[in-house]
Amino acid sequence: MKLRLFSSAALAVLIGICPGAAQSPNVNWTSYTGDITGSRYKPLDQINAANFSRLEVAWRFKTDNIGNRPEYKLEGTPLEVDGVVYATAGSRRAVIALDAVTGELLWVHGEKEGARGAAAPRQLSGRGPAYWSDGKEARILFVTPGYQLIALDARTGQRIAAFGNNGAVDLKADSDQTIKPNLTSGEIGWQSAPTVVGDKVLVGSAFREGFTPTTADNNKGSARAYDVRTGRKIWEFHTIPRKGEPGYDTWLNGSAEHTGNTGVWTEMTADPQAGLVYLPVESPTSDFYGGTRPGNNLYGNSLVAVDINTGKVRWFYQFIHHEIWDYDMSSPPLLMDITVDGKPVKAVASPSKMGFLYVFDRITGKPVWPIAEKKVPKGDVPGEWYAPTQPIPSKPAPYARTGVSESDLIDFTPDLHQKAQALAKNYKIGPIYTPPVVSKAGGPLATLGLGPANGGTNWPGGSFNPQNHTVYTYACNSCLLAMGLVPPPAGMSDLPYVIGQAGQQVVMINAAGADQGADAPLVKRAPAPARAGGGGGRLTVDGLPLIKPPYGTISAINLDTGLIEWQVAHGETPDYVRNHAALKGMALPRTGQTGFNIGTLLTKDLVVAGDADVTTTPEHPRGAMLRAYDQKTGKEVGSVLMPAGQSGSPMTYMVNGKQYIIVAVSGGNYSGEYICYTLPNE
Amino acid sequence: MGIAALLVLLSAMDATAQTSSMWDGVYTDAQATRGAAGFTGHCASCHGANLGGTGEAPALAGPQFLSDFDGLTVGDLFDRIRTTMPQNDPGSLARDQIADILAFLLKANGLPAGPKELDRRSEYLKAIGFSAANPHP
Repeated sequence: MKLRLFSSAALAVLIGICPGAAQSPNVNWTSYTGDITGSRYKPLDQINAANFSRLEVAWRFKTDNIGNRPEYKLEGTPLEVDGVVYATAGSRRAVIALDAVTGELLWVHGEKEGARGAAAPRQLSGRGPAYWSDGKEARILFVTPGYQLIALDARTGQRIAAFGNNGAVDLKADSDQTIKPNLTSGEIGWQSAPTVVGDKVLVGSAFREGFTPTTADNNKGSARAYDVRTGRKIWEFHTIPRKGEPGYDTWLNGSAEHTGNTGVWTEMTADPQAGLVYLPVESPTSDFYGGTRPGNNLYGNSLVAVDINTGKVRWFYQFIHHEIWDYDMSSPPLLMDITVDGKPVKAVASPSKMGFLYVFDRITGKPVWPIAEKKVPKGDVPGEWYAPTQPIPSKPAPYARTGVSESDLIDFTPDLHQKAQALAKNYKIGPIYTPPVVSKAGGPLATLGLGPANGGTNWPGGSFNPQNHTVYTYACNSCLLAMGLVPPPAGMSDLPYVIGQAGQQVVMINAAGADQGADAPLVKRAPAPARAGGGGGRLTVDGLPLIKPPYGTISAINLDTGLIEWQVAHGETPDYVRNHAALKGMALPRTGQTGFNIGTLLTKDLVVAGDADVTTTPEHPRGAMLRAYDQKTGKEVGSVLMPAGQSGSPMTYMVNGKQYIIVAVSGGNYSGEYICYTLPNE
Repeated sequence: MGIAALLVLLSAMDATAQTSSMWDGVYTDAQATRGAAGFTGHCASCHGANLGGTGEAPALAGPQFLSDFDGLTVGDLFDRIRTTMPQNDPGSLARDQIADILAFLLKANGLPAGPKELDRRSEYLKAIGFSAANPHP
């Protein structure tokens, strides 16, 4: 191992003394999105349209034993620097360092956090670590489930003693707020990857799922910058303003005092030249009922540009006033330099669960194309406060379905469409920002939304090619959510309404990451009371999705013109659709799949993304395909079989002149695995 | 046992693999009714009272669920539940409870009931093919 490390160090020196070499033998992926602009782009083309289908597995890394139970939700995107891959993995969320060529485990670093880890709102492996180096020393930084920022020596995996308290910063204790009820069980955490900008490391915050929160009086989100050398906090941005801070008055009845959540749960990006950090801020408590927080609720659901040195707001834009749909702000902001009407624009573009791409001048915050405030439907949930208007981008056109109308319902056959209409009659449907309803047994059971909670574009975000000024992003186009409100049963919540359905048992809804990390007790054997209820209310028609295809898409959106250049259905037609008795003999175009975990990777000319779900077709055995599309046309140019669906976004790198692609797969009965593909040695 | 005998045994075992389908009526209605209560007590908090999934917990009824396990066996699903579910308390359910809950999931997915209860042994359940589409419609 020492020899290998020595040789890669020597290689780094070699690269260092010949800057600007046309064909560098190493191309690194140093940040979650490849760089700090959010691009997910590397201009490599050794793996290309002509050979993509010939990719082979270089190595696999099964994450089962990184923690005390296997994980089926591996969401990480690894980093790669000079021959070493760094990733978070397993139910422990340890950092692993692997030889980038062979996959050999070099070191692993996990933190046992006991009761604090067990209480963490966002457990499991998380999305990735961050890398920092000053050329002499290299560090890996990550946030544990129990909300500690840990700094490791990139060579050894050991804590950096000089950072924070022996290598750790307690993000709960080092907060501007006092975490309720205590540092062990207090609800706040983070599962995303920190962003390193110069000598600063940015961390955000996240909470439990907001469908059935126990209290409106929750801990508050924030975003912070730390000194990467010392672990000293440089600034903390209050996403819910304190008394005296601008925006406090957008929380009526003093509701800024008690309201919580409003985290920055996805990755942040930065423009060091402009001295700005871009914070995508999520919804306040709760996700679907805002009667306890009347007003527009700044900086909920806003893109906030803050000064990199002070954390002070330079500009902000609120995408949704008084959010009640769980749209959040899902995607790392994309920092692109574009040319609009002949003028250069330093832009920031935000893909969203809403299916809109919001584009601004990233220095001034001025929309590149007009975003008009439009009247939206007012709801009738008792106690709710409704914003009369919401901002609707005029350009680009929405790249995913934004509401639910009769024309979105399944229409393979007239019979299926009629059944779909009959099912939909039990629900309220309408355009985007149609508010949730109180669920009634006689109808409406709920408001149906396409995009709430799931997207549109969820946490994987989008990608862009800085050469052709084009955003490439996946969107779920059929992720249907029933938004019905019911009073919580005694003891569940102090909110007057939580998500549920009339006539059914109301149950606490947890994120798939809650209570399952390696610190959570493995066998409690507590007798669970059996309760009546369950069944009914599924949103399918004869086993087919209520919503018609395409179920999921990848779109190419040119930001010089604001036009969608192409859009393709992404993902093999599911078996249950292709083989459905009612569709026998019909020539179905590829439908895509109903997933929301899909992120895209861009190489010089390709868009690379895997299927969310496994299929079995005449062309391939049971598995999911990792696909490559031509960036210019959207035409599929190659594919390679994966044993399970893509669950973490792919990345690419080059070591010693050879290109690799790593993708995280898991789901169904297949536990988490990083798979590294490369071309055959011929 | 000689190698030849072992090979014969292995091929015999292979021949018994997936001798039936989940579409053949592999659970009883009474079992599914017991399983409904078990589901509500142990599963619904994440997967939703109507099995539709909540937040990031997947739906356990409907197309995507069927697609996830298509081509595997009922035993594979049984073992996935047995080793990891409920995710906040894995190992807390007895095999009989899991079999009941699995019967409820099959029923909720529109699969027919039959005269015989779903077995509690993974090895036996691995002989029941899981397929999204009915192999003999």
